[in-house]
Amino acid sequence: MLFFDLGKVPGQQSMLVFHALARLGIEALVAVSPKSPLASIGYFQDAQQEVDLQYCREAGIPFMRREVGGGATYLDENQIFYQLIWKKDNPRFPKAIHEIYPWFSEAPVETYRTFGIQAEFRAVNDIITSSGRKIAGEGGGNIGDSMVFVGGILLDFDYQAMSKILKVPDEKFRDKVYKTMEENLTTMKRELGTLPPREEVVNVLKERFEKRVGKLMPASLTPEILEKMKQLESWMTSEEFLLKKTPRIQGGVKIREGVEVFYGLHKAKGGLIRTAEEISEGRIEDITISGDFTFYPKEGLMGLEESLEKTPLKKEKIIERVETFYEEEKVESPGVESEDFAQTILNPIMDSK
Amino acid sequence: MNIEGYEFPEGLYYDKNHFWARVEGDLVVMGMNDYAQKMAGSIVYVGLPPEGKKLVQGKSFTKIESGKWLGKVFAVMSGELVAVNEELEKKAKLINEDCYGKGWMFKIKPDNMDELKNLMTDPAVLQEWLKVEIAEHGKK
Repeated sequence: MLFFDLGKVPGQQSMLVFHALARLGIEALVAVSPKSPLASIGYFQDAQQEVDLQYCREAGIPFMRREVGGGATYLDENQIFYQLIWKKDNPRFPKAIHEIYPWFSEAPVETYRTFGIQAEFRAVNDIITSSGRKIAGEGGGNIGDSMVFVGGILLDFDYQAMSKILKVPDEKFRDKVYKTMEENLTTMKRELGTLPPREEVVNVLKERFEKRVGKLMPASLTPEILEKMKQLESWMTSEEFLLKKTPRIQGGVKIREGVEVFYGLHKAKGGLIRTAEEISEGRIEDITISGDFTFYPKEGLMGLEESLEKTPLKKEKIIERVETFYEEEKVESPGVESEDFAQTILNPIMDSK
Repeated sequence: MNIEGYEFPEGLYYDKNHFWARVEGDLVVMGMNDYAQKMAGSIVYVGLPPEGKKLVQGKSFTKIESGKWLGKVFAVMSGELVAVNEELEKKAKLINEDCYGKGWMFKIKPDNMDELKNLMTDPAVLQEWLKVEIAEHGKK
């Protein structure tokens, strides 16, 4: 198997390379970082619904639809992407998706451990630290007659930049996404207190992958590969491909497996209710409530938010918490009932299922 | 019939890409088989191409996503795509819930019904084939 250590390349090239290798049936491991920031969306995502295209244009951040699943993500030079490409009938490698992820994730997991970070694989496709924070997300797909497994080592991560590229309903929601990411997503720099040298990380990653895939032979991109990348670039950066309508319905923003931020919107008799809610393992972890309804006393709203923390996502449980809070705190909200809050919170979650 | 814990209803035709076919008048309905949907896990999206698309038996014509993995959907027959299951746009998980019923995927107007001969119907043949698939891909 070949090994392409590409270093830092122009943003879109870092993604085009694995699409090209897969189509050409070239089995390889690629280690690459985008020289300049890039937004990447999953194959089934609707770019206009999920990426703030105007912001991206103004900030000079190109975006790209990848032929791999998952959601929108922000890529920059502080992430080392590993892209493994193999022929789908290669008998040496697992074929079932539930086996592919843990099998190949051993290499990045061991890489993190080599640097002193106690990482482990968590189904379906995350790598987490011992404190449960995500430190790598992975994805894959069948492209041409090849299979592709991709992921990224997070040397560092720009949470602010990531939250800015997302299309969000309002700034409160953006802030919630940012805070939830900061709490649930970590990096080598955060864990170690220092940024490890890129080359050292790449070398360890290569060695660990070799234990799985056999000897990796250093290689350079050939004219054939470069030509294929060029061909793909014109298609993959065309408006037809980038802005194509997809069946994907915008749900929440997934931070890691089990943690998602949702935007709730519901028109009650007494006015519009909005929520930015962090859902963790089936419970409300944190919630911000706003809107144009009347709430007496106004300060009580923060108390309501706090009282809803840790509430299971069950209509009757939410109603019970809201009613208990109203009774205890003697608050009032004309035309807005406990059921309205339950609906606002649960609607986006139901829609995403 | 149940093969190794997976449902393979009799009367359907099965291809080696893990899709089934059912004849309905002059059309063929297709979907994913029980083994494949279980192996895929929770299916989140299916690409629904426009009706009228020309399909070739055994060739992929759209994609499907589960667990951040983007897989392919292969045509069980050559012909014209005449209907897609619109319900899958909102709830692709119907394939997991009822792969032979509400989770049907596409309807094809075949060019040649003789292509059904390329598909498996014999329980013994199916059983033998699935055993090999399980040996290679595992069970879930």
